[in-house]
Formats: sequence, C-alpha cells, structure tokens
Amino acid sequence: MDDDKLIAALAAGDDTALRELFTRHAPWLAGRLRAVLPPPDVEDVLQETFLAVWKGASTYRPRGTPQAWMWVIARNQAALLLRRRGPATARLEETPHPGLDPAEAALVRADITAALDGPEGEVLRLMYVEDRSLAEVAALLGVPAGTVKSRAHRARSMLRAALGGTR
Amino acid sequence: MNVELAGIHRSFRKNKAVVGVDLRLATGVFGLLGPNGAGKTSLLRMLGTVLPPTSGEIRLLNRDPRGVTARREIRRRLGYLPQNLGYYPSFTVVEFIEYFALLKEMPSSAVPKAVATAVERVDLGAKAKAKLRTLSGGMLRRVGIAQAIVNDPDLLLLDEPTAGLDPEQRVQFRALLRSFGESATVIVSTHLVEDVGAACSEVALMSEGKIVFRGTPDELITRGEGSGVGDAPLERGYSAVLSAARS
Amino acid sequence: MTYPIESGQPPTPHGSAGDVNLARVWTGVAAEVWRRHPGRIERTAARLLRSPALARALLTTPSLLLPWLISTVVVFSVGALVSLGPGQPLVWLVAPAVAAVGIAFAYGPAIDPAWELSSSCALSSRMVLLTRAVAVFALNAALGLLASAASGAATTLTFGWLLPMTAVCTLALAVAVAFRSAVVGAGAGVAAWVIVVLAGQAASGQVTASVTNAHAYLPYLAVASCCAAIVIYAIRPERGLQ
Repeated sequence: MDDDKLIAALAAGDDTALRELFTRHAPWLAGRLRAVLPPPDVEDVLQETFLAVWKGASTYRPRGTPQAWMWVIARNQAALLLRRRGPATARLEETPHPGLDPAEAALVRADITAALDGPEGEVLRLMYVEDRSLAEVAALLGVPAGTVKSRAHRARSMLRAALGGTR
Repeated sequence: MNVELAGIHRSFRKNKAVVGVDLRLATGVFGLLGPNGAGKTSLLRMLGTVLPPTSGEIRLLNRDPRGVTARREIRRRLGYLPQNLGYYPSFTVVEFIEYFALLKEMPSSAVPKAVATAVERVDLGAKAKAKLRTLSGGMLRRVGIAQAIVNDPDLLLLDEPTAGLDPEQRVQFRALLRSFGESATVIVSTHLVEDVGAACSEVALMSEGKIVFRGTPDELITRGEGSGVGDAPLERGYSAVLSAARS
Repeated sequence: MTYPIESGQPPTPHGSAGDVNLARVWTGVAAEVWRRHPGRIERTAARLLRSPALARALLTTPSLLLPWLISTVVVFSVGALVSLGPGQPLVWLVAPAVAAVGIAFAYGPAIDPAWELSSSCALSSRMVLLTRAVAVFALNAALGLLASAASGAATTLTFGWLLPMTAVCTLALAVAVAFRSAVVGAGAGVAAWVIVVLAGQAASGQVTASVTNAHAYLPYLAVASCCAAIVIYAIRPERGLQ
C-alpha cells in the first residue's frame, strides 16, 4: 500500500496503517532530526510527530508528497521543542539569514542538506547548477526522462518545504 | 528470597495434590515439570494467592499472604497466567490487558504505556484493537502472557504458557522469560521439557504432589544417561527421574 | 512488522536510526493511540468509589450492560402498564424477580470466565461483589419505583416490594455463588419469589399479600441476613478454587 493510501486508512482510524508508516518513515526522520538534536529530544519529537500525523491524517491533502508533509510536521515539533528550551540548546556556528531564529535556521539547514542529498539532489545539481538539459541528465544518470522530471519535482517540493517556513 | 515455601501441603478432600513441598527461590527462571496431575497447577495457584495451603508456611516477596494488606501488596507485584484463562469475547486485546492492569491497581497514568509495552513484547501490536473473539488460540495465549507482565512483576507465574504457540513464537517467548528472569522470579510450569531446558537456570520435577528432582537442566540430563525413555537428553532425564520416583 | 526480541527488550523496527531508540518512540505513540478514554459515567464512578479499577469492574457488570438495561426497562414498563386490578399494576410482582436475575448475573465464577485470574489481582473480590450487587439492586429499585409511581399504584404496592426484593436478591446471589452458576442462582431467586407470592395468596386470598402483609417483613429480613452471610462466607479468600 502506498503512503497516500496508508494516510487515508489512518484517517479512517486504522492504527495498523500508522504502524506501517512508522516503520517506513521513522528511521529517516530520526536521522534528519539527529543532525540538530540529541537522541532523547529526537525521540520526543518523533513521538509528537507521529501523534500529530495520527490526529491530522484527515486533513492531509496529497498535493506534495507524504514524506514532505511528515517532515513539515516533524520540523514544527522540533522547533516547538527548541523554542521551549531556549536558543542556547541549538547547535549552530552561524545564522544563514539575518533575523532568523537560530533554532529555525538549524532545521532549515538540515532540510536543505536532506533535499540536496540522494538522487533528487543529483538531478537538481545537474539541471540547475550545471545547466544541463532534461535529455542530457537522463543520459548521464541512465534513467528515463520521466524519472528525471519526477525527481526534480520532488527535490523542488522538498526545498520549498524547507524554505517555505522561514521568516 | 522472593519465594519461601516450607512444608507446604494442599489437599482436596481425600486427594493430596501437594505433599510436603519446600522451595526457596531468588531471581531467575525456574522450571516446574511433571505429568498431568502431579500438583504443578495447585502449587502455582498457592503461589498466585488464589488457593491457600492446607498446612505449611508460605512467604512471597518477603510477605505472609495470609494478611489482607500483605496479600494485596503481593498481588500488586505479581503476574499470573492460569492454565485455563477465559477471556471476555467483546473486549479488544488492549482493553483486556488494561482491565487487569487496573485490577492489579497500577497507577492509572502508567497504564497506557505499560499496556503498549506488554502488547509489543508479545508481538501483538498488529492486533491491538482486534476483538478477542477473532483471535486464534496462540494469540489468546499471548494476550494472557501480556496481562501477566503488564505490571512488570517481581514474581511471574506462568502455567503452560506456550500452549498454542508456534516454534518461532516459543523462541521469542523464551527470550522474554530470560529478560524477566534478570530482575524477577519467574516460575514456568509446563509439561514441554524443551521449553524448560532452553530458558530455565533451574528446574524441579513434581510427581504425585512431591518434588522428586531439583537441579539444573544439565543435572537432569545426567540423570538420564544410560537409562530413560525419550529422544532428547532432557526427556531421558525426565523419564528416568519419574520412573525412579514411582518405583 | 516483525520484531526481533531476543534481548527481551521492547522491539526495534527495521532500519533503526543509530542511537535513537525507535522502539521506545513507537511504544509512546502506541500508548496514546490505543489509550481507552473512560466515559463520563466511569469517570464519575471512579471519583465516587475512589478507585478507577472498581469503576471499571462496575461498568463491566454483565447485568448493567446496555442490552440488559434495555430488557429491564421493557419488563418494568410492561409491569407498569399491565394491572391485576385498579391500582394494582404488576410492578410489585416483576421487580423482585427481575432484580434477582440481575444480581445472579452480576458477579462470581459463574459469569466471569477469567475468575481465577481476577482472584489473583489486588482489587478485592469482595469489594467488586459489594459494589456490583449494590449497583444492580439500586438500579432495579429505582426503575421499579419509577414504574410504580408512573402507574399510579397504591403506596404499599409502590414500596412494599423493596424488602421482598432484597430477600430474593440475596437468595439468588447466595445460590449463584454456592453452586457457581448464575442460571441456578437466578432460577432459585425467581422460583422462591413465585412460591412466596402463591403461598401468600393461598393463605390470605389476596394476590398482593406477599408485599402488603406486614407480618412477612421479619422473615424477609431474616432470609436476607442469612443469605448475605452465606455469600460472604462463600467468597472468603481461604476458600479458593477446587
């Protein structure tokens, strides 16, 4: 069952769907959160994230990807936690945007890193940094053009989600 | 010592179910073997404070269960799976375990997490909200195990816990026993010799109400060398001890 | 989702993230998702009884569940509508019988499939018995009084059946506990009531003699006391299972 169907099942009260979503997505969410938070905080944020997913499943609309939706929830939960703790707990060397909350900035950096990681990031780099055409990127990666398009679309969604919440 | 029995007897009219049992147990997993009618269930019922002894002294978790307050305190720290456990068909898995967590007077705030932990430990997470009437025999037995462990007991009594479990589930169950045995006294009553050998650090063999052997599984194996009936070493030891007790 | 539990610890799903304990996270999530939320009646009962456990045990009484309650209301309604004569609705006749059946099915090894396990729990069986019996009796008494008042029965008929009902209920419970059978207990209670009514009619010529005859009050009290003593003795901790 794909994630959209699982979320629909969740909205109907199926707790086994939540279980499946947790198995699929908790590890990568934990990995991304771990970039900015210590393990106990990651556990707290993850727990709140999946409870929010459970309660908010009926409001999910499949505009972006389920992963992006969950990451936005996790980000917000992490930001809440960090704001409750105060700015001293955020691990930062510099603030990327003037006036941006340091906790928020740490999360944005994690977002961007994750968006540019993996096959989606590779497509972004080839298309927008090296300015290559769709056909060239498809040939270089050895995948169909449709695959390149969908990876680019996903990467843009993830970046939008990463940057869209900043002030 | 979590369990101290001295000269325990239990009779039902003319039937002597338990005859002169002495037992002192600290933390660890203790196996209770024996054929049907040997007195294992009666002994476990006395340890579970469901049945009083006809005579003898019993102390559980350093308390005398004859006192009302002491018995209540023992029961709060006790986990018990009877041999025949009935279920409430309209309850779900979680509702059943939660009900007994409440009857054991666990603090209400601790109950949800304890129930979730117990459900996952017996690998019934996918059936948490299923009605008990829809479950197989093996799953129901796991529900029974879950209610026994929900309060993280100091004394865990399990009467034929592996009935209906498949081999993979029995392996998982033995791991569960070992983990509990690190901090609690676990007593497993079974007629399945291989369950005892794999999980228990010490075993006792009952016959006609008496304990006729007490030692490690290896010592039981030794008793069966060169004699006894059975395919496995433990089975040979088991039958050798029983034959000697009956002759 | 399979969980390896060789360690005996709460399981870890596939792809665990390093030093983050995903099993613990899932347990926290599951605890909230699976949590049962007691209704208002249970919460009120828990406050009054000062015990969430006792409230839960009370709300799971078989003869207090909705189907049973509906049946009870129907029977009392029929009793209120049907009369033997002017000012003589049948509420006085049905109330003790209905209550006896309800009490017999309130508690005990006969109706609790997990009786042995319940007996090993910290919550006292006697407290559960007392709470359930009082609740079932009170509910039946209240429904009976309502039905009597609504039907315009005479005062002696409105209240006169309360004492016989007490006697018949304790008899039903005593038999149910002694014989470990709710059906036998219910049957004994109903049969005893029928006999008393018929005997009263035969002796005085009045069909309502069993509730209007003041000379019967002391015997009713005696029966109720003896049966209550039998119940308390029958479920003493020392008796155990055989």
